[in-house]
Amino acid sequence: MFPYLGHGVGLRPPHFPRVMEGSARADWFEVISENFMIRGGRPLAVLERARAAAPIVLHGVSLSLGSTDPLNATYLDELRGLIARFDPAWVSDHLCWTSVGGHYAHDLLPLPFTEEALRHVVGRVVAVQERLGRRILVENVSSYLTYTHSTMPEWEFLAAVAEQADCGILLDVNNIYVSAVNQGFSADAFVDAMPPGRVAQIHLAGHSDKGTHLLDTHDGPVIPAVWALHRRAVRRCGRVSTLVEWDDHIPDFEVILAEAERARAAEGEALDEATDACAVSA
Amino acid sequence: MPAPSLRELQETFWRALAERPGASGSPALARPLLEVIPPSERLTPSDRLGIYAGMYFWRIVDALREDFPRVAAVLGDEGFADLARGYLARHPSSHPSLRHAGGALPDFIADQPPPGAPAFLADLARLERARVDAFDALDVAALRVDDLRAVPATDWPALRFAAVPAVAVLVSDWPVDRVWDDPAARDVPPERTTLRVWREGFAVYHARMDHAEARALARVLAGRSFAAVCDVLDQPETAGALLLRWIEDGLLRRF
Repeated sequence: MFPYLGHGVGLRPPHFPRVMEGSARADWFEVISENFMIRGGRPLAVLERARAAAPIVLHGVSLSLGSTDPLNATYLDELRGLIARFDPAWVSDHLCWTSVGGHYAHDLLPLPFTEEALRHVVGRVVAVQERLGRRILVENVSSYLTYTHSTMPEWEFLAAVAEQADCGILLDVNNIYVSAVNQGFSADAFVDAMPPGRVAQIHLAGHSDKGTHLLDTHDGPVIPAVWALHRRAVRRCGRVSTLVEWDDHIPDFEVILAEAERARAAEGEALDEATDACAVSA
Repeated sequence: MPAPSLRELQETFWRALAERPGASGSPALARPLLEVIPPSERLTPSDRLGIYAGMYFWRIVDALREDFPRVAAVLGDEGFADLARGYLARHPSSHPSLRHAGGALPDFIADQPPPGAPAFLADLARLERARVDAFDALDVAALRVDDLRAVPATDWPALRFAAVPAVAVLVSDWPVDRVWDDPAARDVPPERTTLRVWREGFAVYHARMDHAEARALARVLAGRSFAAVCDVLDQPETAGALLLRWIEDGLLRRF
């Protein structure tokens, strides 16, 4: 199973000097896998140093689990190389597609939630897990459109992928909130449909309100509604390794650490609420 | 319209993003896809697809700007976005990592120079690309001065060296190193320039080489013996000084 690591920090280039001088401390670090699929130089040295200080998790953006292209064998070999070298606590990627016809969009593109897509993604996750020799986590993405031919809600699709492919879930509660507002569904219903035993990591992040839609920008603090959703997820799933993502306008390491501490405190409060609720119902 | 297969959906979606990158409005290519995208409360299907089209284009433009900051400075924001529009239409990314997205940009600039762009632009792009490649080139232990102290004098003429992977040599008809220092200097006259690019520790450098150094380093990189390197220098003792400088900069390993 996936270990509980506490509250981590997403390691991004502005923090690399802190890692090298040994002053970047966190429960664990999450890094973007593709940024380290290189031959040498500073990023890999930073990752060596980070790994010596704390557990790391490899979070990918280009596995393209939903693509109808063949799985990219070179990519998987490079991922295997990173796994062998850095021994991550787990590996994750997104429930979406990012490539077709051999071309990469470098964006997390939405899948239709159909039986065809479900069968396809399940087969891909199984194949990836066999190739990597380990189970992976699959993350829900923010979306800005839906398809009329979807036959099930996103939460049912995600839970079915996890169940049928026997993988874990990286539950991004900010993405749930963004998609819920954009698509007009209930974020609470999404969280309430998550199978607790499979949710192995939670992502939190900030987003931008564009007036006509919310955009998943990871460039600011987590808003209260997303914190509330996080607490709901913790009440349902229990203690889950958690990380606040920050990818643009990246603040000082201490600011990100403070957000991680805030998530830790929120988790404690949510667990207390869950315990109290059990005591009352008993 | 019947629901598209997953493959059809992805191919149509891709064409809508990539055939006219960064174009405003909804490309006709996307019409079959728009039929299966419902409107949201505030957005039409076309607006919704347009969010993805914008993100596709601008994410890659940002990555290119990070790898080619001087080219971007020379062209300005609008000019660089125009360059990226043409480039991506011809060279969509075919690698999972954005790091490779700009690999063909220097050649693209050489083939199709942006209107009004200075003639040095392709070579400036080559210099920026060489620096990116040096940044994450394979780590190889470079030769140290101490390694050579143990070599008997009689063995020196036959010594051969090779460059570590982070070394590149760039030849241009333009003083691209001066433009790199000051991208506002658009009116530089042509000047034959040979640069070496290398990484020392984690920092990437480039430096101009004079004719003698360029010829000598070319021989070293071709795997020629130290004696052959000395042959191209007017004063053989220069070879020792050059070798010392290259070793101190971490350029070489034993052949």
